[in-house]
Amino acid sequence: MTRLRNAVAITLAAIAFAARDYEWSLPDGIPLPVVPADNPMSREKVTLGRHLFYDKRLSVNGATSCATCHVQELAFTDGRARAVGATGEVHPRGSMTLVNAAWSGKLTWANHLVDTLEAQALIPMFGEQPIEMGMAGRESTFTRLLSQDDYYRRAFRNAFPDDSDPYSVLNAVRSLASFVRTIVSFDSPYDRFQRGDAAALTDGQVRGMDLFFSERLECFHCHGGFNFTDSTTHANVLVQSVGFHNNGLYNIGATGEYPPDNTGLYDLTGERRDMGRFKAPTLRNVAVTAPYMHDGSIGSLSEAIEHYARGGRLITDGPYAGDGSRNPYRSEFVRGFELSEQERSDLIAFVEALTDESVLVDPQYSNPF
Amino acid sequence: MCSKIALLSFFLVAGCSGPQQEVEIPFEIRFGESPLTCASSIEGVTLTDLRFYVHDIRLVTADREERDLTPVDDPLWQSAEVALLDFESGEGRCTNGTEQVNNVVRGLIPPGDYVALKFRIGVPEHLNHADPLRADAPLNYSFMHWHWLTGYKFLRAGVAGEDDGFWIHLGSSHCERTSAGTTVCHAQNRPSVTLSPYVPGRDVVKLDLRELVSGIDLYDGTPSDCSSGPAETECQMPFAALGIDFHTGDTVATPTVFRVGLRE
Repeated sequence: MTRLRNAVAITLAAIAFAARDYEWSLPDGIPLPVVPADNPMSREKVTLGRHLFYDKRLSVNGATSCATCHVQELAFTDGRARAVGATGEVHPRGSMTLVNAAWSGKLTWANHLVDTLEAQALIPMFGEQPIEMGMAGRESTFTRLLSQDDYYRRAFRNAFPDDSDPYSVLNAVRSLASFVRTIVSFDSPYDRFQRGDAAALTDGQVRGMDLFFSERLECFHCHGGFNFTDSTTHANVLVQSVGFHNNGLYNIGATGEYPPDNTGLYDLTGERRDMGRFKAPTLRNVAVTAPYMHDGSIGSLSEAIEHYARGGRLITDGPYAGDGSRNPYRSEFVRGFELSEQERSDLIAFVEALTDESVLVDPQYSNPF
Repeated sequence: MCSKIALLSFFLVAGCSGPQQEVEIPFEIRFGESPLTCASSIEGVTLTDLRFYVHDIRLVTADREERDLTPVDDPLWQSAEVALLDFESGEGRCTNGTEQVNNVVRGLIPPGDYVALKFRIGVPEHLNHADPLRADAPLNYSFMHWHWLTGYKFLRAGVAGEDDGFWIHLGSSHCERTSAGTTVCHAQNRPSVTLSPYVPGRDVVKLDLRELVSGIDLYDGTPSDCSSGPAETECQMPFAALGIDFHTGDTVATPTVFRVGLRE
């Protein structure tokens, strides 16, 4: 009997160990992401987080889940210029991709304060300006659902076996963040080319790649590195890289101004030099995440390249009129360039080669309900 | 620990630093001279929200000595360092509110002949950027969390007319992230209030929302708001009413929003 009990105890310990010892499956050369010490990965949390991610009951009126604005087939964006919250309020900005968010040093379009997915998740859940999920003041409704729903009753106990009352916003957020950390994409034609499959890219795409990484076009300064953004961090990083850039989208009144509901980092710091500074998002899967820029004001990849070729956008009339190429806060890397028709189509072909079809359909990220 | 002993033995007790007495600081909400609620209107205006934190509470003796008033622990409204006042009842126009209300700060202070009251609006800096999901009451309510600035809303207030209205979310702004991963905000936006004469037991603190929205047109059919952002011109008048410089966040004047009245 004692022996049997020991065997059971050993088996349980092994299961518990396996649960805590999450295995990342990453290609060679990709560093481990940063995982907060107080929220280690586990398969239980990831599975629970996936359910929470797709559960509309966790919004104020049952209208939206995380997945409403982060649609897998669109690389976890929503195809809208600006996101729409549960109550119909239009967000000033578009939904960002969640692909490889685990390596994002700073979260959201322009916020240097929010640097974990745990902290970020609270903004759509409880934010009021604008209302996204609309749960501010409703945390007791939220936790009641978690403690009463059959699936969540089991899943929270399994994911947080040491908590006497595991049905908390904190644990929900830990689970959501754990799930989002698993949305990993390193299997685009570009990645396969890098791994030695010379046939993975066409000749045009290779020419486009050379252009992308050239000093002439400067794309890679902001969209560089293994995740095609300079806002990248990982477990071995010593100095945190933080990239926010004014790319000359606006220059209202020739004073550098951006539209008042979208001033970028300036909104947080109040420093003029931060006017219009936004994060350079990853370009992975960018071919399926149109429209582009923080406010969705550029419709296609071709127009995005046109914007950078001009070195900023000229808006000739209306309340936002101004020449963005003369914005005094514009990044030194947005200087403009000339492209032949062939070069333009090569560059677009290369950017399209950053699409990883597998992440768009992988069942482990899909709706579990 | 001190406060618990004091609570058990009520009023006058021998605390850790001499005898302490429990004092109540009651607050009332006004629009001009009239009480304002979520379900009734004054001058065509109804309350939509009013919740705010107070801290650094002191009473001043007749010979101008300032003594700290330590809030007694309360499972909903107070910790030793900060208290939450909540005037919205979830009724009427207070559509996103809660039923519970709280209009009093209760604290311990050495017995004395007090003639003035000082306090600050907001959450003390050392608590303002901690993880709100691990905080105890009264810092554990999501309606006071300000996740995008990794801090708290110090004060949220709003009024509405027929097809117009104004709301304000006050909190620290102009923030930076240090290399150690902590947030530092240059505009602290913590109004500093001094009310004199104020006699505990006899007097009440009146918060006049008409003063807060003076300069905002509540009748032109154009709702407006202020969330303490640097570009929000709608913030300037309410910040002035709270005695804060809109650009630096420093207290530069006595807030006109608070005054003393007799407790009824």
